[in-house]
Amino acid sequence: MLTAFARAFRTPDLRKKLLFTLFIILVFRLGSVFPTPNVNVKVLKDTADAAKESNQLYGLVDLFSGGALLKLSIFALGIMPYITASIILQLLTVVIPRLEALKKEGQSGTTKITQYTRYLTVGLAILQATGIVAMASTGQLFQGVSGGDEVLYEKGLFPIIVMVITMVAGTTVIMWLGELVTDRGVGNGMSILIFTQVVAVFPAQFWSIYKTKNGFVFALVILVGLAIMAGVVFVEQAQRRIPVQYAKRMVGRRMYGGTSTYIPLKVNQAGIIPIIFASSLLYLPVLATQLWPNTKWLQKVQPYLQQDNAWHMGIYFVLIIFFTYFYVAITFNPTEVADNMKKYGGFIPGIRPGRPTAEYLDYVLTRITTPGALYLGLVSLVPMVAFALLKATQEFPFGGASILIVVGVGLDTVKQIESQLQQRNYEGFLR
Amino acid sequence: MILATSIVLIVASLLMVVLVLMHKGKGGGLSDMFGGGVSSSLGGSSVVERNLDRLTIGVGVVWFASIVVLGLLFKGKGVG
Repeated sequence: MLTAFARAFRTPDLRKKLLFTLFIILVFRLGSVFPTPNVNVKVLKDTADAAKESNQLYGLVDLFSGGALLKLSIFALGIMPYITASIILQLLTVVIPRLEALKKEGQSGTTKITQYTRYLTVGLAILQATGIVAMASTGQLFQGVSGGDEVLYEKGLFPIIVMVITMVAGTTVIMWLGELVTDRGVGNGMSILIFTQVVAVFPAQFWSIYKTKNGFVFALVILVGLAIMAGVVFVEQAQRRIPVQYAKRMVGRRMYGGTSTYIPLKVNQAGIIPIIFASSLLYLPVLATQLWPNTKWLQKVQPYLQQDNAWHMGIYFVLIIFFTYFYVAITFNPTEVADNMKKYGGFIPGIRPGRPTAEYLDYVLTRITTPGALYLGLVSLVPMVAFALLKATQEFPFGGASILIVVGVGLDTVKQIESQLQQRNYEGFLR
Repeated sequence: MILATSIVLIVASLLMVVLVLMHKGKGGGLSDMFGGGVSSSLGGSSVVERNLDRLTIGVGVVWFASIVVLGLLFKGKGVG
């Protein structure tokens, strides 16, 4: 394992990529702690700490934004706008025929959709930045904490507009950083930046567990975390291989095909996207209660938003299962795969090409996704349930989402490094 | 002074947004974000892209510098 790391760094090509990625992460973190002009850093820190102690929801906000949002830094919005934009466009491709046509067009269409995503990101960033800065200036960002409205030096229109524009520009810079990593670094840029955001708050949260609870609970938390992680790695790697045989054929004087391969169907085909969908949906009412704290029915809803509430867990679970099926249906189209196979003379042994193949694929996929969806739901619930029993829920840093993000992105990146490494020598990280 | 720096910051920010949007999106969206296929990015970037990169970095530096200056100005004013 360690020698593999050493070898990765000895390969000049790969070393350059790794260092570049690390550099981008560094820039990203730096921007995440750098305050936007007009923010009174000292007051902000005090009120944020006080708010986190009085209301647990702020901890959640912190986790989602890598601690940048409550610092009102120039990268305060993080990559959330980009993720939201991607989700929206993904959903719209199903609804709007024009987008669907673009998607089918292949490379050029995908580029166009990506471009739309980026425009939408800027739009969302403007909305969110305006919201956050407005909340900060009126003191709504920190409810019920004294000094919450002293966060900004000046509350005139002009300084506030400057802040909003700065944050919007910050978000586009993040977008660019992510694309640079995808282009010249290791792994997918956006997922690496999410990974950074999630991991960045871990140490502080661990420390707060250690301080508020005793050493025993601390050790238990770490043990459970590691156990879940191992389980997640196990399931993420699991796949069913459907054999595909390609017929031999003569084209001119050459022989083509005759190989047998397989279609890998992963147990968790959808990745962590269902969790992101579900938690962003459930995050909306949380945001609403902060924006309009005096609305009657929102006050009634509020207790149900706590992480350890049974209703919250149930809805979360159902949403995740729904979105898993939904997303698998979007990304994997059995009819298309079957048609492609037919076109190139491939077939699944024992099943006729064309419609029967599509039906078979659909059947297998539906069955294999069931445990996948249940697994996603359970993993995201296990920490909540376990630590509701221990009364340590709110401090527990591993939401199911964060574990899945960390493991998923980690595995993916290591796999990419490995495949690059194998271009030179054969032994990699994973045996 | 604050006003001047603010204006510089606004201009730099807007330029930044425009320049980044002018880049060709390499992200590929959500589909290959988590556990997607192997992304094949063959072929180097074109001359236009490279010049755009340089320009973006240049504007980025100006942007960051004006943020720092403006932050310090506000701080000095807030204390005094």
